[in-house]
Amino acid sequence: MAICTVHTTPSLSMPNTHLHQRQVIFFTSARRNQFFRGQNRAFTVSCSADAKTVVIGLAADSGCGKSTFMRRLTSVFGGAAEPPKGGNPDSNTLISDTTTVICLDDYHSLDRTGRKEKGVTALDPRANDFDLMYEQVKALKEGKAVDKPIYNHVTGLLDPPEVIQPPKILVIEGLHPMFDERVRDLLDFSIYLDISNEVKFAWKIQRDMAERGHSLESIKASIEARKPDFDAFIDPQKKYADAVIEVLPTQLIPGDNEGKVLRVRLIQKEGLKHFSPVYLFDEGSTISWIPCGRKLTCSYPGIKFAYGPETYFSNEVSVLEMDGQFDRLDELIYVESHLSNLSSKFYGEVTQQMLKHSDFPGSNNGTGLFQTIIGLKIRDLYEQIVAERATATAEAAKV
Amino acid sequence: MAASLSGMTTLSTPRPVRLLNISNLYPSPSQVRLLPCGARRCTRLVVRSTPSEIANKVSESIKNAEETCADDPKAGECVAAWDEVEELSAAASHARDKNKGKDPLEEYCKDNPETNECRTYED
Repeated sequence: MAICTVHTTPSLSMPNTHLHQRQVIFFTSARRNQFFRGQNRAFTVSCSADAKTVVIGLAADSGCGKSTFMRRLTSVFGGAAEPPKGGNPDSNTLISDTTTVICLDDYHSLDRTGRKEKGVTALDPRANDFDLMYEQVKALKEGKAVDKPIYNHVTGLLDPPEVIQPPKILVIEGLHPMFDERVRDLLDFSIYLDISNEVKFAWKIQRDMAERGHSLESIKASIEARKPDFDAFIDPQKKYADAVIEVLPTQLIPGDNEGKVLRVRLIQKEGLKHFSPVYLFDEGSTISWIPCGRKLTCSYPGIKFAYGPETYFSNEVSVLEMDGQFDRLDELIYVESHLSNLSSKFYGEVTQQMLKHSDFPGSNNGTGLFQTIIGLKIRDLYEQIVAERATATAEAAKV
Repeated sequence: MAASLSGMTTLSTPRPVRLLNISNLYPSPSQVRLLPCGARRCTRLVVRSTPSEIANKVSESIKNAEETCADDPKAGECVAAWDEVEELSAAASHARDKNKGKDPLEEYCKDNPETNECRTYED
């Protein structure tokens, strides 16, 4: 049963912490005619899950595809995610009907000048307030609204806080979602995007070369200067992640350094309660599969899949790997029909989601495919958790 | 309304129609890139470049980082300076993506709804 609370943005006139399972509020629309076009004085009706929010953590270095992943993820749940209306235009938060995405840069304790004075990067834990992060994520998980600070990436300053209402699904994305142990324990599922150095360099060149002032040397210097802090603080988080998307240069083209064709590995932790890994043909065995052949013709360099059990930082994992590119729709649908445990609701859902966002980077290779699959997995996880809570409250009610 | 749009089929839902004045629309030179002319045709690609405010910040921060690092490449200040470059480049890239979806006519009409281009006709 969902509880729908009504509140005017941005004030908190309805105390939503005291509403329990059996109360449902009906909002009559007597005032609806008074909503004028152009004025954003809307009453927001938000329905939050019974007991708690589901929290997902996403970690990756800057420029590594978190935003793309976020857009794919929110699209799986339906609805477009947009910055909060009527608030700070430089807010990093995205809100859709079911999901709220919070950027962990908002918990910087030092702004850009402060970091420059201390000679500290944003990757350093000293520049972040983990206590506040833990408090607020905990409050949101319990269904309480919070006043979250805003870090303005353009000015480099900390702006006045904005109110965040507890959503059904809370996604925290940034550099350190799994760094602090307390925050880590609050996460229902965590993902780490592990981009290899060569690919990172190629992506950053694509992103920055058009920028006035940047050159190959400056991009290289920037990556190298940040590397020590990255290796010390960000990289170690990958051992805690439930799913790691590892992006490497392709093995299909010898000597390729353009980074256009990629080899992507989806490393999925085994033994998790609400997450069953995607597999190819036979769960637990080692498979190597090239779909191109008599039934499917692919253009150079083709597609190659691999699947098998492995050990990753002393955890049991299943790895699904894709090397190559999709050129045509039927390649994608052919591949999808051979993968199992996708948690899709209908045949072709993965393909449909990929096509919906064919302009996103990575839509023709493993990055887009695995991000979409993880999105479906998270939806499945969310539904399992909600169903579990519903039966738990039903049991409690009977007693 | 449908009758006045010659050659168009009847629209099931009447939609506001704006008269277009192209001269206000055409993007400024800094935003237009000419692709090299191939054998068959010249294509004109309109690229939304980074908003100038952020673009300036990026080039300034790069200069600053290069100066700071000239003395000691391993010092904290040098590393922090390059981190700032990275942060601003990311912000520039996001700003470019945001601008990609924007329709210049809609933007113009938000501020000037009374001009001829932005008059709407609703039956």
